[in-house]
Amino acid sequence: MAGMGGGEDTSAQGDRFKKSYSKGKKPGVRIDMTPMVDVILLLLTFFILTTVLAQPQVMQINLPKGDEKDKVKVDMSNVLYIRVSGEGNIYFSLGKADGTENPPEFVAFNNVKTRLEQIYGANDQTLMLLKFSRDMKYSLMVSIIDEINRANIERRYTFMPMEDMDKEIVRLAGG
Amino acid sequence: MKKPKAAKKPGVNIDMTPLVDVILLLLTFFMLTATFKAAESEGVEVSLPESINVDTTKLPEIDVMTITLSPTGDIFLDVDNYLVREEVFGDKFAIGVWHPDSTSKSEIIETGKVGDVVLRRKPVLLDKDQFERTMNELRVALRNMTDGKSDFRIVVKGDRDGKYGAMEDLMAALKNSGNTRFALVTEIKHD
Repeated sequence: MAGMGGGEDTSAQGDRFKKSYSKGKKPGVRIDMTPMVDVILLLLTFFILTTVLAQPQVMQINLPKGDEKDKVKVDMSNVLYIRVSGEGNIYFSLGKADGTENPPEFVAFNNVKTRLEQIYGANDQTLMLLKFSRDMKYSLMVSIIDEINRANIERRYTFMPMEDMDKEIVRLAGG
Repeated sequence: MKKPKAAKKPGVNIDMTPLVDVILLLLTFFMLTATFKAAESEGVEVSLPESINVDTTKLPEIDVMTITLSPTGDIFLDVDNYLVREEVFGDKFAIGVWHPDSTSKSEIIETGKVGDVVLRRKPVLLDKDQFERTMNELRVALRNMTDGKSDFRIVVKGDRDGKYGAMEDLMAALKNSGNTRFALVTEIKHD
């Protein structure tokens, strides 16, 4: 019914239109949108393809400023050595109060975060000394720092070069 | 007789307006979020390592000193301000290259390539002392140009297949030259 009514209305309007404006027979201005849509689609495709949505993130690192003069003395019982071999095996060893350290303990990468949280749960003054092998992959360094940042602990770490003694410890522990 | 009459309808008219609306919205979104990689500012391409850390910050957009570690252990020193490059290196498109002696062979010195790509920037070879000095010269040059208003922020882009040895040498150089604050660029990885 509504459709029919509508139809009647338009025809009536059309009649009136014809009578009052005999020259203006055109039914309004029709703009063909097709070229515009084409262009817009092209632009859209261009922007979709050129956009880099995954913006790189940055990880802040602060190296200790101090030179040799103002070295900080750290109690060995608060030290955690994290040694990583060239093959990427991670060994933790906790320092002891008498200046020695516990034998290295192999930690699988997936357990680094939980193990760190355990250690910090027991002693929140722990200072991590990171001794990475020069042959290790750079991406592993980033991953380990990432795990340290993810662990719910205060970030206290410093990078130290791997010396012959450290290499020996790692070698004896399985390389 | 009736069939041809029924076919007289003037085709099917699809209203394009909602489609155009949506496409325009999408277009606006992509235009506003797009960030372009300037081929010239990107000296050396590396595949970044991934990290899942949640509180990482975004890469700064201007006044960036980019130190790139190639997979073979070459260290590239670049800044995003060509005037500074021209002042320090004497060439708008120059890029500093340092290859620590302790790491393996240098790709750029031997083949002039980084990976499979020929470096289009003019390499300026530096040794360790020159590298440390140049970093500070670049920073001083920018400070002088901007009346001390801006300073470079150091970002390190390492290749995920590179070795830590080059990074260790780089960190020693950064520490020696007093540039103890820097950032490692990573790609975000979702758990």
